[in-house]
Amino acid sequence: MVASYLRRAYSSFAARVLDVPPRLSAFLFLLLFALLPLTGIGPYYLNILILANTFAIFVVSWDLLVGRTGQMSLGHALFFGVGSYSTALLNKYFGLPYFVTIPLALIVGALVAVLIGFPCLRVKGPYLALVTMAFPLILWNLVKFGGLSPITGGEFGIRPLPSFFPFLPISQQRLAEYYLTLILLLISAVTLYKVANSKTGIVLVSILDNELASKASGINVTKYKLIAFAISGLFASLAGAIYAHLLKLANPATLELTVSFIPVIVTILGGIGTIYGPLLGTYIYYILDLYVLEIMIRVPEEWKNVKFLAFVLIVIILIIKWPRGIAKSVVDKLQDLEEARELEEIERERKKKQKKETTSSKG
Amino acid sequence: MHLLEIENLSKSFGGLTAVKSVGFHVDEGEIVGIIGPNGAGKTTLFNLIIGFLKPDSGTIKFRGENIHGLDPHKIVNKGISRTFQVVRPFRHLPTIANVMVPLLSPRGKKKIEWLKTPERKAMEMLEEVGLSEMMLEPAENLSHGDLKRLEIARALATEPDLLLLDEPFGGLSPIETDYLTKSILRMHLDGHTLVIVEHKLHALMKLVKRVIVLHYGEKIAEGTPEEIAKNPKVVEVYIGKAE
Repeated sequence: MVASYLRRAYSSFAARVLDVPPRLSAFLFLLLFALLPLTGIGPYYLNILILANTFAIFVVSWDLLVGRTGQMSLGHALFFGVGSYSTALLNKYFGLPYFVTIPLALIVGALVAVLIGFPCLRVKGPYLALVTMAFPLILWNLVKFGGLSPITGGEFGIRPLPSFFPFLPISQQRLAEYYLTLILLLISAVTLYKVANSKTGIVLVSILDNELASKASGINVTKYKLIAFAISGLFASLAGAIYAHLLKLANPATLELTVSFIPVIVTILGGIGTIYGPLLGTYIYYILDLYVLEIMIRVPEEWKNVKFLAFVLIVIILIIKWPRGIAKSVVDKLQDLEEARELEEIERERKKKQKKETTSSKG
Repeated sequence: MHLLEIENLSKSFGGLTAVKSVGFHVDEGEIVGIIGPNGAGKTTLFNLIIGFLKPDSGTIKFRGENIHGLDPHKIVNKGISRTFQVVRPFRHLPTIANVMVPLLSPRGKKKIEWLKTPERKAMEMLEEVGLSEMMLEPAENLSHGDLKRLEIARALATEPDLLLLDEPFGGLSPIETDYLTKSILRMHLDGHTLVIVEHKLHALMKLVKRVIVLHYGEKIAEGTPEEIAKNPKVVEVYIGKAE
C-alpha cells in the first residue's frame, strides 16, 4: 500500500515538476553546464568535462549518420583522426594558427567523408560496417609505421601543438577551454539537430526506413547518403581537431578501434537517432569511466582492461533496463504522462458539460 | 507517339526467364490492366519500367525517349510513379512526412504551386485519399487499407504522367476495394494514365479498357476485357484445358 502511494506521489511529482517544454529543459541543462565550473570543481574534473564536451561533438556526428540514415559506420575514428592530423600537419609544416587550421581540417574531414562514401555506399548493412572499419585501421598503420610516418612522427605523433589560450595563466586556461568546448558543442549539436529535423532529415529517415521506396519517390539516395556522410565527417573532424589542440598532440591513438566503438556504445545507451540522447550517453560514459571506476572504486593499474569490461557490463544492464536509450525513454515517459493528463482533462470537461446539461434540463 | 512504348523486353534471373520479349504500348489517358497467374512476370515488368532492374535486352521508351538502364530516381523524375505490391511506408515518419518525401524530389519540388509549402501540398494529397485525420500519426500505426491509400498518395505526389499500380486491391476488404475503385476512376478522370497489375480480376475488369495477359513471362493476349474473358488461351491459363 505504501509502495503504491509512493508510486502515485512520484508520478504526480513527475507530471508537475519534470514537465518542462523541451526548449526550456535544454536551456536549463545548458545553464547547469555553464555554471558548473563556478561550483569550484577541481582541474581534474574540469578536464574530464572538457574532454566529454569534445567527444560529445564526435558522438553526435555519428548519431546523425547512423541514427538518421542507418549507414552503419564502425570507422568513425577515421574522421576524428583525419581532423587531428590535418590541423597538426598544417600547423607544423605551414605554421598556421589554430583558427585557420581547424576550419581547414573540417573541410578535409568532409572531403574524406565524401571520398570514403563513394565506395562505401556500394555495400549495405553489416558489409558497410566492416568496410568502414577498415579505413581508420589502414590510416593508423600508415601514420604509425607506414609510408606516412616520417611526416606524422610515427608512434609519438606530432607535438607540441599550440594550446587554445596560451596567453592566459594555466589555471584560467582550463576554464576558458571548458567554455570554448561547451560553445562549440552547443553549436554542433544544435546544427545537427536542425539538420536531423529539417526536410533533408525527413529524406534521410525515409532512406533508413525503406531505401527502395525512397528511390521510387524520386529521391537520389546516393546524393543524400553522401550529404549525410559529409556533414557527419565534418563535425567528427571538428571534434578531432579540438582534441588535438587540447592534448597539444596528434597521435595514432585517435585512429584506434576504441575511438570508433565508443560512439556506438554511448549512442545506444543514450538513445539512437535523437541527437540529444548521445549527449547524455557521453556524459554518463565519462562519469562512469573517469569518475566512478577511477576514483570511487580505484581500479589498480594492472586491472585497467577489466575497467572497460566493467563499464560494458554497466552499459549492458542500462540497455536492458532502457532498450531505447535513457534519454529517449525519459522523453517518451514524459510524453505519455502529458497525453494521459490531456485525456483526463477532456474527460473532466465532458463531465462538467454533462452536469450542466442535466441541471439545465431540470431547471 | 505513345506515352510508354515497350519493345522486345527480356529479363532472366539465372536460368529463369521472368520476362520474355514482351512488347506493348500505353497511350496518354488510358487505363491498362496487366493480368496473369502467379509468377507470370508482372512485378518484374514493373521493376524493369521503373529501373529497379536493368533489362537484358529490349527497349523502354517514355515520350519517345529511351529510359531503360537509367537509375530509378531519374525515371521517377521524368514522370513515372509506382506503388508497391507489399506496402513500403516510411514507418518512423508521420503520415504527412511520408507524402513529403516525394515532394522533396526534383520533380516534386517543381510541381508544387507557387507560394505553397510542401507541408500544405502533402496535406492536400492526404485529403484526396481520405487520410487527413491520420496526418500526424506515425505510419506504423496505420491499418493495411490506410497504408495502401498512403502508398497511392505518395505515388501521386510527384504528379506522374504515368502511374503504375502493383496489385492495389491486394488484402483490401470489399468496402475498401469499392472505395479504391472509385478513387482510381477519379484519377482517370483527372487525366492520369494508369497501368494496373492485379489478381482480383473482378475489380480490375470493371476499371480497364484494355488488358494484357502475361504467362511465364510471355504476352499471350491483349484486348478489351470482353475479348480477354472469351479468349481460349487465357481461359486455359487460368482454369485449365477442357478435356
